Amino acid sequence: MKKVLIGIIVGIISGMFAAGGGLLLVPVYTYILKLDEKDARATSLFCILPMVILTAIIYAHNNFIDWNLGIKCALGGIIGGFLGGKLLNKISNKYLQIIFIIFLIYAGINMITR
Amino acid sequence: MKEIIIGLIAGVIGGLGMGGGTILILLLSIFMGIEQHIAQGANVIFFIPTSIAAICVFLKNKNIKFKIAIPICIWGLVGTGIGAVVSSKLNVNILRKCFGVFLLIIAIYQIYSLYKTYRKEKNRNNTIKYKKGGNI
Repeated sequence: MKKVLIGIIVGIISGMFAAGGGLLLVPVYTYILKLDEKDARATSLFCILPMVILTAIIYAHNNFIDWNLGIKCALGGIIGGFLGGKLLNKISNKYLQIIFIIFLIYAGINMITR
Repeated sequence: MKEIIIGLIAGVIGGLGMGGGTILILLLSIFMGIEQHIAQGANVIFFIPTSIAAICVFLKNKNIKFKIAIPICIWGLVGTGIGAVVSSKLNVNILRKCFGVFLLIIAIYQIYSLYKTYRKEKNRNNTIKYKKGGNI
């Protein structure tokens, strides 16, 4: 039952914003289902991929996919992801998290008031 | 070029495990003025190749717990169908505001999680100090 609810809620958010699935699933896995952090990240990524593919199909059907933009972003993303993986454990997570929080608050307010 | 740099930044953040997709959508919409639906669409295309690469590594290291993953994934797809259809029908302004609220909720959770790690670290340091004192 717990898994049904978690799945549906994460799915709705993921489909609605096409993002944030991992931000929700990783803490759910670590705190509620007691996975360690690495397994939680791996398992959440694995869960989200099919959801993202479904979102892509629905968005494409509604003409929300700009392939030129998406592919360019993905190109940068592949290089960035590789760099990020290398940097992991080399820079302090605490300061990074603080920057991330400040950015989220700024962006959140910006999105609401714009 | 701008798009590639934005993708690169989001990729680094994602690789560090901190919500690369959220950052990608934000950068596209704040710095390039791209409409919310299209920015979200770009994130979907961004996510697929980057995550497949990471999943391959995780599969090799046996980090994926299938027993948990499969039921959540199946129910997740049901939710995704609902979410994506609702999102497609939503007015851009409302969708953007909803996304803003979602970001603030994530921010609050992140602050809580930061506070929790801080408390844990402090406790551990105190125990170490106490133990050292005990030995003397």
